[in-house]
Amino acid sequence: MSRQLITLIVNGDRHQVPVAPHDTLLDVIRDQVGLTGTKRGCTSGACGVCTVQGEDGRAVLSCLALAIEWDERPVTTIEGVASEDELHPVQKAFLEYGAVQCGACTPGLIMTAKALLDQNPDPDEEAINEALAGALCRCTGHIKVKIAVREAIKVVAASTAAEGGQGG
Amino acid sequence: MQLPPFEYHRPASLDEALATLDRIGNDAAVLGGGTDLLINLKLRLERPAALLSVRELPELAGVSVDAAGTLRIGAGERLTDLATHPLILARHPGLAQAIRAVGSQHVRNMATLGGNLCLPTRCWYTNQSENWRGSQIPCWKTEGQVCHVIKTAPNCRAIHSADSVPALITLDARVLLRSSRGERELRLADFYRDDGIENNALLPGELITAVLIPPGRARSVFVKAAARTGLDYGYATLAGALTGSNRAPKSLLLVAGSVGTVPLLLHKPAQIILAQGLTEASIEAAADAAREDLGEVTNLFTPPGYKKRLVRGLVRRVLNDLRRQKLPDAD
Ligand SMILES: Cc1cc2nc3c(=O)[nH]c(=O)nc-3n(C[C@H](O)[C@H](O)[C@H](O)COP(=O)(O)OP(=O)(O)OC[C@H]3O[C@@H](n4cnc5c(N)ncnc54)[C@H](O)[C@@H]3O)c2cc1C
Ligand code: FES
Ligand code: FES
Repeated sequence: MSRQLITLIVNGDRHQVPVAPHDTLLDVIRDQVGLTGTKRGCTSGACGVCTVQGEDGRAVLSCLALAIEWDERPVTTIEGVASEDELHPVQKAFLEYGAVQCGACTPGLIMTAKALLDQNPDPDEEAINEALAGALCRCTGHIKVKIAVREAIKVVAASTAAEGGQGG
Repeated sequence: MQLPPFEYHRPASLDEALATLDRIGNDAAVLGGGTDLLINLKLRLERPAALLSVRELPELAGVSVDAAGTLRIGAGERLTDLATHPLILARHPGLAQAIRAVGSQHVRNMATLGGNLCLPTRCWYTNQSENWRGSQIPCWKTEGQVCHVIKTAPNCRAIHSADSVPALITLDARVLLRSSRGERELRLADFYRDDGIENNALLPGELITAVLIPPGRARSVFVKAAARTGLDYGYATLAGALTGSNRAPKSLLLVAGSVGTVPLLLHKPAQIILAQGLTEASIEAAADAAREDLGEVTNLFTPPGYKKRLVRGLVRRVLNDLRRQKLPDAD
């Protein structure tokens, strides 16, 4: 099967990669770009560990996306979530509240929570549940995850308010 | 699970898409969001030589109302956008509920309406890996001679469980179909066939371009009973749409999903409500009458008799919700 050269824009970096039509975005991110934070789980849409963010900030399942459809389109993976010197509030909250056991689900859950906050900085309980329903943890259940997400929401809201205040 | 190799086409216009479909013929599969098709390819349930991506076609985009008040929803629209669309939320709350019931938010961010309308029927046997299927004898879908869902059935009885469909049928929606031969329009209720394999009326070379919902103010509700609120297909679902008042209802459509090979119109409960109005007593009577419409229910994933009891409960829920709902805005 002939390969086609595409440009994946992962976390702002441009990667030229040869892809076959049946290569999933997940496999190309892991095996060609070399970023293995995005996990391979069920490969059929039902666990969310492969979650990345598309250009509109929404959560996308990279196991059900064809890489060939992502030419020149920006993707954010777990490796692109922290800034140079600081973790993202969602990452910090996961650490602080122990929302991690084996860690297999963690990148997907963090990407899911970040996608939620990017769309809706003040989600209610229903919106949190709706988002998290698509990304599963087999170790801890979602209780600590939800505590962490609620905490991250507060932190993001406080920092947005502070920035707003400074901007006057 | 890995995808098998295939060719990939992304036409820039509908005409180009239809010409490509004609050229490749039966070896092509139409790709919407891919949230079902790509899984079926991984399961080796389908083996198309080529995929034709239609999601980005401009002719399949948009949600709009024409001068006559008909709502047109492009088949390439994503479910997340539709579930939160102001026009749909305001006019057809039951449809918004139904679309929101599909899979998870992750899935809805990728999935299209056209893909949901054409979701193949499902069962415990076929929707498994090739290896898993190899441990059982093949069924009608996999070139065998038996249905694993209803052993005595002369054809495939796998379950239709596309959640938007019952809701759209209660709104008397129509589908717009295009091929290089031209355009045709079908009532969505007539689009489906009581056969798990040849489950819809799509002809070779044909695509769904849009769904049309006629004008009119109806209260509408969709309720889904599933193992989990997210990710799972329904054990049973029920959509209802009602015009007129509680005391003097003018029309009522109740359509059940995930109970059979096609969405099922429940006549008896609707007749009772139309004759008696929406009261506590009539709702109980309607719920009891639901089983008369159910016929041979495929008790897939549930014990025998469970689905009939479930539908009874869903009828009660949907009618109570309809009774309480305010009439949506006209436009
Ligand atoms: C974890 C998970 C849970 C799910 N749960 C549900 C659920 O609860 N309820 C539910 O309804 N679905 C569910 N789904 C199935 C699927 O995600 C949805 O049905 C979705 O709407 C399919 O749309 P798509 O665009 O991804 O379709 P695709 O996978 O792209 O296509 C599905 C079928 O439709 C055909 N098709 C697509 N577009 C067109 C068109 N315009 N014209 C003609 N044919 C077309 C394709 O050829 C294919 O046969 C689930 C999927 C996953 C992965
Ligand atoms: S690996 Fe993509 S959803 Fe499970
Ligand atoms: S921490 Fe192990 S799967 Fe979630």
